[in-house]
Amino acid sequence: MSMKVDFQLDAKGLSCPMPIVKTKKAMADLVDGQILEVSATDKGSKADVAAWAETVGHQYIGTLENDGVLKHYIRKCTNDLIEEVTFDQTIDLEQITNRDGLILDVREEAEFAFGHIEGAKSIPISELDTRLSELDKEQEIYVICRTGKRSDMAAQKLASRGFAKVFNVLPGMTSWKGDLTKNI
Amino acid sequence: MSNKVAIIASNGGLFDAYKVFNIATAAAASEKEVAIFFTFEGLNLIHKQGMHALPMPAGAEHYAEGFAKANVPTIPQLVEMAQELGVTFIACQMTMDVMSLSTDDFIDGIAVGGAVTFLEFAKDAAPSLTF
Repeated sequence: MSMKVDFQLDAKGLSCPMPIVKTKKAMADLVDGQILEVSATDKGSKADVAAWAETVGHQYIGTLENDGVLKHYIRKCTNDLIEEVTFDQTIDLEQITNRDGLILDVREEAEFAFGHIEGAKSIPISELDTRLSELDKEQEIYVICRTGKRSDMAAQKLASRGFAKVFNVLPGMTSWKGDLTKNI
Repeated sequence: MSNKVAIIASNGGLFDAYKVFNIATAAAASEKEVAIFFTFEGLNLIHKQGMHALPMPAGAEHYAEGFAKANVPTIPQLVEMAQELGVTFIACQMTMDVMSLSTDDFIDGIAVGGAVTFLEFAKDAAPSLTF
């Protein structure tokens, strides 16, 4: 399958430390929240990319392996400021699976693919404007992301478009202890 | 957490060079401040001519094929990369005097210093590595 990403880096055939050096350079051209796909054949790159992302503060989403090619997915994060969450209608993460509404996951497609709550619907926040018709204004909608930041923005957007039963889920997927569904 | 990595390069073989420059570039790519102190045979690694023909350990010559097959970057390429990523190279003045070497014998962009120069950098570095 092909994953929707913002940038692709070909590091195939390169050995350590080149995939990491190239990844670092490529990352400089991304803006916050964008996804980089790194293709590599260096088997050590799987552990290295994850460790590198952890060290520098980006989000390592996961790795797919196909025919000896590893594809690593990383989301750029600036490890600064905790942004204030402002949408006042919130719901606790532990409550959402007991209720009838729709879990709306606004993370990027790659993040969703590597693990989401069973039954959740995926609309990346950047696509929300154009896909509003897929949502039902009468239904309760629990908007979730990784930490609560993007879901806050999405919840505000939905509220401004006339969705009254919108809740921002706090905390986000980083605190989810239940099963994860993958579609990779 | 320390944001510095301090490396002493005191051996002049090809394997030594890979250990030094792989760790250095990886650390620099991970946004660490990296300095390498080149002393004794380690000076070979930044010697203008020497770095192009670093010796393999005796009996290990057959690895040359493996290096080519694994598409490992050459030492001059790694050196260039390290400098591009901001790694500081410090050549040991005392060794240079002993070996009658001057900065002209080395690649551009290196600093020259003594033990204290390195110690000052390394005092709050973690890890500090010796190769």
